[in-house]
Amino acid sequence: MSEDIILDFQNVTKTFPGVTALSDVSFTVRRGEIHGLCGENGAGKSTLMKILSGVYPSGTYEGKVIYDGKELKLESSAIHQAVEEGIAIVYQELTLVPTMTVGENIFLGKEPVERRSINWDKLYSDTQTILTKYKLDILPQDVVRDLGVSKMQMTEIAKALSENAKVLILDEPTSALAAAEIDKLMEILRGLKELGVTCLYITHKMDEFFRITDNVTVLRDGKVVTTQPTKDLTPEKLVAYMVGREMKERFPKGNRQPGDVIFEVQDLHAADPNKEDREVLKGVTFDLRKGEILGIAGLMGSGRTELVMSIFGEYAKITKGHIKLEGQEIKIKNGHDAMQKGISLVPEDRKRYGLVLIQSILKNISLPNLDRFASFMRIEQNAEVVESLRIAKELAIKAPSLHVAAETLSGGNQQKVVIAKWLLSGPKILIMDDPTRGIDVGAKYEIYKLMNDLAEQGISVIMISSELEEVLGMSDRVMVMCQGRSNGLLKTAEATQEKIMALATGIA
Amino acid sequence: MNNLAQAFRKNIQTYTIIIALIVIWIIFAVATQGGYLTPQNISNLFRQMSVTSIMAAGMVLVIVTGGIDLSVGRLAGFVSVVVAFFQASRWNTVFPNQPAVAALLSVLIGLGVGTVWGMGQGYIIAYLRVPAFIVTLGSMFILQGLILLQTEGKTIPANQPIFSEIGQGYLPATLGWILTLTVIALLFFTTFRGRRNKQKYGFPLPPLVQDVMKAVFFSALIVIYVALVNSYKVAPGIPYPVLLLGAVAAVMTYVTNNTRFGRYSYAIGGNREATRLSGINIRKNIFLIFALMGFLSGLAGIVLASYVGYGTIGAGGGYELDVIAGAILGGTSTMGGVGTIPGAMIGGLIMASLSTGLQMLNAPPATTYVVKGVVLILAVLLDVYFKKTSSKA
Repeated sequence: MSEDIILDFQNVTKTFPGVTALSDVSFTVRRGEIHGLCGENGAGKSTLMKILSGVYPSGTYEGKVIYDGKELKLESSAIHQAVEEGIAIVYQELTLVPTMTVGENIFLGKEPVERRSINWDKLYSDTQTILTKYKLDILPQDVVRDLGVSKMQMTEIAKALSENAKVLILDEPTSALAAAEIDKLMEILRGLKELGVTCLYITHKMDEFFRITDNVTVLRDGKVVTTQPTKDLTPEKLVAYMVGREMKERFPKGNRQPGDVIFEVQDLHAADPNKEDREVLKGVTFDLRKGEILGIAGLMGSGRTELVMSIFGEYAKITKGHIKLEGQEIKIKNGHDAMQKGISLVPEDRKRYGLVLIQSILKNISLPNLDRFASFMRIEQNAEVVESLRIAKELAIKAPSLHVAAETLSGGNQQKVVIAKWLLSGPKILIMDDPTRGIDVGAKYEIYKLMNDLAEQGISVIMISSELEEVLGMSDRVMVMCQGRSNGLLKTAEATQEKIMALATGIA
Repeated sequence: MNNLAQAFRKNIQTYTIIIALIVIWIIFAVATQGGYLTPQNISNLFRQMSVTSIMAAGMVLVIVTGGIDLSVGRLAGFVSVVVAFFQASRWNTVFPNQPAVAALLSVLIGLGVGTVWGMGQGYIIAYLRVPAFIVTLGSMFILQGLILLQTEGKTIPANQPIFSEIGQGYLPATLGWILTLTVIALLFFTTFRGRRNKQKYGFPLPPLVQDVMKAVFFSALIVIYVALVNSYKVAPGIPYPVLLLGAVAAVMTYVTNNTRFGRYSYAIGGNREATRLSGINIRKNIFLIFALMGFLSGLAGIVLASYVGYGTIGAGGGYELDVIAGAILGGTSTMGGVGTIPGAMIGGLIMASLSTGLQMLNAPPATTYVVKGVVLILAVLLDVYFKKTSSKA
């Protein structure tokens, strides 16, 4: 039967003091479909999730959610209740205990107990049953720490599914995955669909909606803009629904003329700092021109982050090879040294590596630049404010003042703060490791524009990206990495997604 | 009014602790029928807090970076017996009848021993990467052994002239007033210079009244304190340890707010990885913090030896508890990244207030321990509660 509805949102409204997070939201999800949920940050997606998971229990919002024929009534803080009802959630950040096994993680908090002690045999055999049922390629006894990101994700899904789930909600499940791993996830989701599990799929990556979903609901400012079958949509239409305006292009066109080569890396080899016999870089060669945007593509684990961190002097032990800046061979001892030589790094994962979240925007921006305002005895705090204000204005950071904590900002603005902090030092080369991960379309566009502006000012930008479209849309040339080696340097004009994938997977 | 309410909400932690202090004082004042607020007791109270609070100023930075130092009490104790040893049986043979030279050398030795010990701990923690908890716990055992070794189980007198002034002396009343006026003048000077500098950069200034009121308020506190201790008939004047503590607190407040060293410490505690990737030498910073902690423990040890008048095997025992408790009461977060020196000073004052108050009521030591423990947990509990409610609103 075609109209078997599992989830029916009826006029759901959720208000916080001063803000309406959801306003009169109504849409339906059919049993067994993969339903995409799409919207900019702050559009209300996560509020909706929190209603489904019981973080906001029934009674704290208006309207009704009909789940499997009955009104969903979750009581306060009864997150377990949602799980019992068969609603499972996989959060954006992994929630596994790295030192425990897959089985221990899956049954964390619901271990099978017999005579007051854990029945380990049952735990592991039950784990195996779940893994087999959902065709997940991991072993119950594997320690999570030793797994790759994609297998961790599988564990996460298995954990969510462990109680005969009917609805699985995935919140940006691919933000940490590389292309091949995403393929694998899509396969798993299709498998789940065959088993009759309904999926609510939230992502910022346009193409994933078209690859996997049956219907897409678009939220904007807490309201449902539309629910449509995916086959009737195009990426352009979807973006237009999301931002509420026609966005002509996702990548702004720059107007730049890259100059001479200013930076060269030749046959760089480097070892894992914790395990010196393990080589993570096995020969990387590329060059960078003044005012150029160079994209670095490659699968997760291909050594992209290790490469830029090694250049920045903060990761691996360089064992062989040369780095030349403006024709001079340089040796970079640490991040401070790199900065003084004019190389800045916007690291991956801004919350973990980029920001001191509890501190103000001002303190975050000035942190690597305090030498400029300070003598041994004191920091000239007025100068610090003036300079930070200037750069914040330049990057159009939206915040009530520079004194609010970085954690209160949206993802896009947080990323701008990280960029600001690294631009203030006036770098010649700005390395950005996955700068648009987890931020919404509008904010991405602003970051892209900013990158173009910087390149036009003569700053050379190296951009790591997991999204091939982004690499192709933004860079002048693309360096593709494969298993610690540079496996090709293409002009973007001559590159295609297929060519890059072939180089990244090592077929070409 | 709305602004005031907002400011209150923002600084709720600071106010909670000040209110707690006032409540404790009122309770004791009533229980002792006013005896608690006599010049004699106020004079004693601040002197009692000085040894542990000098160390609490350093502990704030240690905890802010996510570390801990369990050895401070024993280190101060060890320094006190070393200093007592030199006072009692060395200087009289090398420099007979030169109490000033002897005292000066004792101070230098005390500071030196503390700093070197702190540097050793800092090196192992920062560069050899052994967790601070373990290093300082081990160090605590070692210091206990060294104290036994140094004292041979006996009590060493450290009550020689001049040296005993450090812990027991008072600044003459007139000098006290001159110092007070200087500090007040400095307070107003920095207030106005700060405004002028801000103006030069074109920043909006807070209302003049607000800044002046602030300076007047702090000046009034100082004047009240000095007037009280100067009116203590038996021993008028500001106790020297309190002067030392004031200087330590002022310098440390400046260091935490206005230097790179201070700023980096908070950043390390807030997010170690992000700070490292910002090109900051984390190891050096942590090493310096432990060296500073050692220096302050040395200073506390000197005051301790001089105040008690001898070095004993029990010197400094359990002080680390008061030091850490004071810092945490004052709002230092064990999660790292948050904490202030003035807060820790008020925290230390609360701990000392409880000790002296219960002493006056002739409560047995057992009661004092229990009350201190309860107050510490209660304070943090209240803080957790307020944070929850204020973040919800």
